[in-house]
Amino acid sequence: MTHYSEEDLILYYYEERPRTGGIQQHLDSCEPCAAAYRELASTLRMVSTPEAPERGEQYGLELWQRIRHQLPEQEMPWWSAWLRADRLAIAGAFGVLLLAAFVAGRWWSAGHAPAPAVASTEATAPRTAAQNDESRQRILLTSVADHLDRSERVLTEIMNTPAGGDISAEQRWAEDLVNTSRLYRQDATDAGEQSVALVLDELERSLLEIVHTPSRTTAAHLDEIRRRIDAASLLFKVRVLGDGLRQRERQDASRPRALATHTS
Amino acid sequence: MDATDGAAVLARARQGDSEAFQTLVERHSRRAFQLAFRITGNEQDAEDVVQESFIRAYRQLGRFEARAHFSTWLHRIVANCSVDLIRSRRARYDHASTDDLGSLDQPEADGPNPERLAASAQIERRVASAMSELSPLERTAFALRHYEGRSIAEIGKTLGLGTSATKHSVFRAVRKLRAALEPLRGES
Repeated sequence: MTHYSEEDLILYYYEERPRTGGIQQHLDSCEPCAAAYRELASTLRMVSTPEAPERGEQYGLELWQRIRHQLPEQEMPWWSAWLRADRLAIAGAFGVLLLAAFVAGRWWSAGHAPAPAVASTEATAPRTAAQNDESRQRILLTSVADHLDRSERVLTEIMNTPAGGDISAEQRWAEDLVNTSRLYRQDATDAGEQSVALVLDELERSLLEIVHTPSRTTAAHLDEIRRRIDAASLLFKVRVLGDGLRQRERQDASRPRALATHTS
Repeated sequence: MDATDGAAVLARARQGDSEAFQTLVERHSRRAFQLAFRITGNEQDAEDVVQESFIRAYRQLGRFEARAHFSTWLHRIVANCSVDLIRSRRARYDHASTDDLGSLDQPEADGPNPERLAASAQIERRVASAMSELSPLERTAFALRHYEGRSIAEIGKTLGLGTSATKHSVFRAVRKLRAALEPLRGES
């Protein structure tokens, strides 16, 4: 008879298993598993939900008074810059001019030889491609910045793990990040973002090292990983690059149609 | 709160209307405090988390997708602020004495039985002490699962973790708590 692991029983306790009927049947007929489950459940029942100190009706108002003068500027999504009234007015004026130019062109061409249609197609095509590149670049910036935030967390966890601790959760997390990192590195290379690709490459190596370290770490293992992270100033680079990308996101948002001319 | 009314307030807040944001603060702050307290286990830390969360929320309001629930989005920010705060104050937790921890979250007694009270207080102290030994992610993942009843998938989304990493954070937290509470199991 196959017995259920502690992990299965934890998931069952929290009703996370999709087939709870099967495990219940097993617990009904298997005394060792039933005993293990009873023990687990009785321990978890001892952990009662902490009673948060009461906050009165006025709490929200008090909190508001504390933070109202600290509120920063809102980070706006790139498209919202176009919805501002002044920009809408400019866009409207530009639209009217365009329409006038179109009507004038039609009127003018009625008395002259028609311009080849292909010329206008050729003129607009590169602009559309450039806009697509710009959007792709924006998405890449946001995604990589988020990815760096997550990576910074896992690295910080590793830097703070006590010797002899179990790092299996960090390893699974790092494994997820390695796969994503590879894709972003490729995207960054394709987009000509060499400095981003370089940091992602270094990050990937450290993440792989974390993945391949024994889960139950010794002080020596941890020291080795930390030494490499420190030697490469990786946490610092990840933080700086993440901040830099967020900064670029904000700059792009403030001049949305300008072609991205990023230094890498 | 009426859903349409809520959406209108949110829309105004996203356009930088501070009065509308004040309304959001007043509506959601008590629940945010409760969540922060459950994760951090400390009243002052919970206050700091709530304050920082609303400031962060205001800054990022433009990124909030209107089709999502504001409360869900805010709770995600609270959970992540809690992780950051616990991490930054780790040293303080590491050096907190058991007595200090025991003074946290003491429930009101529901009967005059002194033995029961003593046992309950001892369990509370052990739980608080064991919780302080968890890593910031383990602690947050466990609090969201055990106290808040969030699913593994929700917790992963909240903390930006994969399902497997989330599960293992919870497993490790449970293992550590079991080890700490094992000696008291017979007394509960």
